[in-house]
Amino acid sequence: MSDRKVTGDRNFIDREGYEKSLRRLGEIFQGITRHAKEQALQRCPYKDRHDCCTAKFACAYKRVASVAADLPNCVSDDQLDYRTAWETDEGDVQAMKGKLLSASAQAGNVECNGRLCVLRVGKTIFDHADELRVKVPTSCGRVGTCHECIVQIRKGDEALGARSDAEAFLQGGYRLACQAVVEQGSQEIAFDLLRREPKILVSQQSRAVEVDPMVHRQGDKVYYGSEELDRYRGHLYGVALDVGTTTVVLELVDLETGQSVHVESFENPQRFGGSDIMTRISYDGGEHKGELHTAIVNTFNTVVREMCAELGVSRHEIYEILVVGNTTMRDLFFGLDVQSIGQKPYRSHVEEDHLRGVRKSTGLRESARQLKLMANRNAVVCGVPLIGSHVGGDIVAGLVAIDMASRREPVMLVDVGTNTEVVLGYAGRLMAASCPAGPAFEGGLVRFGMPGCAGAVESVRYRDGKFCCETIGEGEPEGICGSGFIDLLAELRRANLMTPKGVFLNKAVEVQVVQERGITLSRQDVSELAQAKAANFCGQAILMRKFGVSPDEISQMFLSGGFVNYVEVSSAVEIGFLAPVNEDRVIKVGNAAAQGAREMLLSRKKRAEITELISRVEHVELETTEDFFEMFVEGCQFKPMNCQSLW
Amino acid sequence: MAELADLKNKFLREELGEYVEEDAERQRMVDLYAETKLSMQNIAAAIIDGRHHDVDRLTREAIDDDVQALEVMDDGLIAGMALVGIKFRDNFIFVPEVLACARAMKAGMAHIEPILSASGIDPIGTVIMGTVKGDLHDIGKNLCIMMLRGSGFKVVDLGVDTSPDDFLEAVEEHGASLVGMSALLTTTMPNMGRTIEAFIDADLRDDVKVMVGGAPVTLEFADDMGADAYGADAVECVEIAKRLTEESASAH
Repeated sequence: MSDRKVTGDRNFIDREGYEKSLRRLGEIFQGITRHAKEQALQRCPYKDRHDCCTAKFACAYKRVASVAADLPNCVSDDQLDYRTAWETDEGDVQAMKGKLLSASAQAGNVECNGRLCVLRVGKTIFDHADELRVKVPTSCGRVGTCHECIVQIRKGDEALGARSDAEAFLQGGYRLACQAVVEQGSQEIAFDLLRREPKILVSQQSRAVEVDPMVHRQGDKVYYGSEELDRYRGHLYGVALDVGTTTVVLELVDLETGQSVHVESFENPQRFGGSDIMTRISYDGGEHKGELHTAIVNTFNTVVREMCAELGVSRHEIYEILVVGNTTMRDLFFGLDVQSIGQKPYRSHVEEDHLRGVRKSTGLRESARQLKLMANRNAVVCGVPLIGSHVGGDIVAGLVAIDMASRREPVMLVDVGTNTEVVLGYAGRLMAASCPAGPAFEGGLVRFGMPGCAGAVESVRYRDGKFCCETIGEGEPEGICGSGFIDLLAELRRANLMTPKGVFLNKAVEVQVVQERGITLSRQDVSELAQAKAANFCGQAILMRKFGVSPDEISQMFLSGGFVNYVEVSSAVEIGFLAPVNEDRVIKVGNAAAQGAREMLLSRKKRAEITELISRVEHVELETTEDFFEMFVEGCQFKPMNCQSLW
Repeated sequence: MAELADLKNKFLREELGEYVEEDAERQRMVDLYAETKLSMQNIAAAIIDGRHHDVDRLTREAIDDDVQALEVMDDGLIAGMALVGIKFRDNFIFVPEVLACARAMKAGMAHIEPILSASGIDPIGTVIMGTVKGDLHDIGKNLCIMMLRGSGFKVVDLGVDTSPDDFLEAVEEHGASLVGMSALLTTTMPNMGRTIEAFIDADLRDDVKVMVGGAPVTLEFADDMGADAYGADAVECVEIAKRLTEESASAH
């Protein structure tokens, strides 16, 4: 700077102007610092925009880059407290760990996913999860606002502090991991995450579809139909999202090649608001309205964020999110009021508007920005139209998957779930019905019932005076899932250990299923299962009668949803859960809704076809059928559906 | 109202098109840059891109061409940081990139400082900043330094793993009245106390005010080891630095 020519008085800074400039700079920096502080809670501050590590010290997440000159990569998923991974001096870190452990030598334990750590008073459940290296979803930096970190406290609830205001919407053993603080030592606490990985069929042989999506590229621009969305960034992706009451399936599809890039399934995080649709509707009508919407949106964003990081995909390249789901799940996802779906005539506001002519279609459209979804800001979020009342877009997607639009002979689609939906017919004539079966076969209401997760008995045979069970996963059986119950009931009937009315031999109160584990089936359980089965029975029987076909005349019966993929068809027919269609004409289509959603995402033709088709579906209200009650009573009996006597 | 196309600097046009998503905000930024000279737009672009050598060169050239120093600050350096702030807020860049931009800004300010002192404007005070011995974490400290510089302080950055002797030497060399120390590990935190003890041993403790910070540090801990102040974040750090400077000025 010595060679600088002398700055004359032309270059003079007046104090006032300088102070004004500093104030502006101060404002910019303050904004930066505040955001940095906020962000540091979720993302390692040393991680740059390319997910490379800029730290000068060692870190467990640091990986040497493949190119010598590059910074090392960071492999953290931004979910755990990254600070525990930092190591400046190996000796120091160990010494500190030792100190922490010895201080709490007298303390109890915290358990999750079979891992144990020492309980520390004053720390949150989230802190313990970090220590256990259990990934709890969050997006608010653990301040209680995103409600993603809901956990179920299995044991030791009393050792935790009182619920904070942020948790007011939760009941029972549900808590927010970031808010639940351990207050008492020498206790045992056990908790579960909501997002247990359910056993569900997600990948099925996907039929080739002509690739003609709404999202397409022209030159260096991306269009949705004729509407410009963005400049082309290198890829066009879409997300097919099947929001089930119990399980959500998300598929990332390459809209240029038609290839499925990735499939992810997770438990619907709305479980804290009840396990079935009606309970969710009443939860959303209460003082915590909007919580269910927030929960699913935040979880969606977490899953997309993780998926994008894992695959190296940019979220800005996601241009359409196509949402299928039953009427309630779809509308909750879009943040709409669902109260009217909970009472007669069980119609959503969208459907009512459509019937009054206010809306052209029952389909929904919103922008990703509006719904705050992780995608391109201009991405289109499409809600697939519904058929009527509870029969929603998931069934529409199912009809796409079984190619109903080109059927010329009657086929029947049975989508089994807490709400079973049945569609019967062919391209020219279609009928649909919804049967509120309840959660008995999905793990609810029955003492040893559980969803199809690890530890569930999934098939049962009666041999030599005892039940032989097959369990999902490698562990010991903990309960029974839907397919297990259907087998169990059928075997009880075949061995004459139970009457069709569900009375056990010698009027026993219960039967032992897995004696060593104390798993039993009681009269009460059988009664719950009978009612759930009756709902499934009525849907199929009433539709067949109304349509005027017998089971023999049904060319194909498609089974989709939930546990039905693992069901032994002969057992289901034996107890009258399914219509007696010959087994070689029964096709399990896995998750038909997710498959149909993918096809609709890829093909404008499919969308147009199905929109036209569903406008002609006749929606049958089972309850208004004259002899519904007699049918229901008949359906409660565990015996094959006798169509002659019913018609 | 100016149009994006009015901006002569191509990089700025691209950056605004790509990263400023809200229309009104983009218009504000376009208007801000459109009023400035191309040479100032070039400085802003170099700041945004974190190219500190370029900022150094471009600022020197501008000053040599008799561009008013305040114009260089406002239209070049600060205008660049404004977009950096927006990109950071919207998660297009992260802390390491922001710090690279702040470093570029410092390279530019180095040419403004002589003019400031020639104009009779002195720094509010001089602060010695460092991360204590054994601690290699620098993000929090660097954010504090950025804030302090942006508020008119002269900051001497001793970097990471700074020994008590390094702190002592720097205070004497620069005649600083303020020392800031940070630690991020519970294990290195006690080294703050050791540094303060070293100041007492060297009979310098009364000449400086000591402020401390970092994730594991608490107000209680700061009091225990005899620090003058504790700051929870970089914003607080500036407030404290200003208060301590006033205190020591009125004491002398």
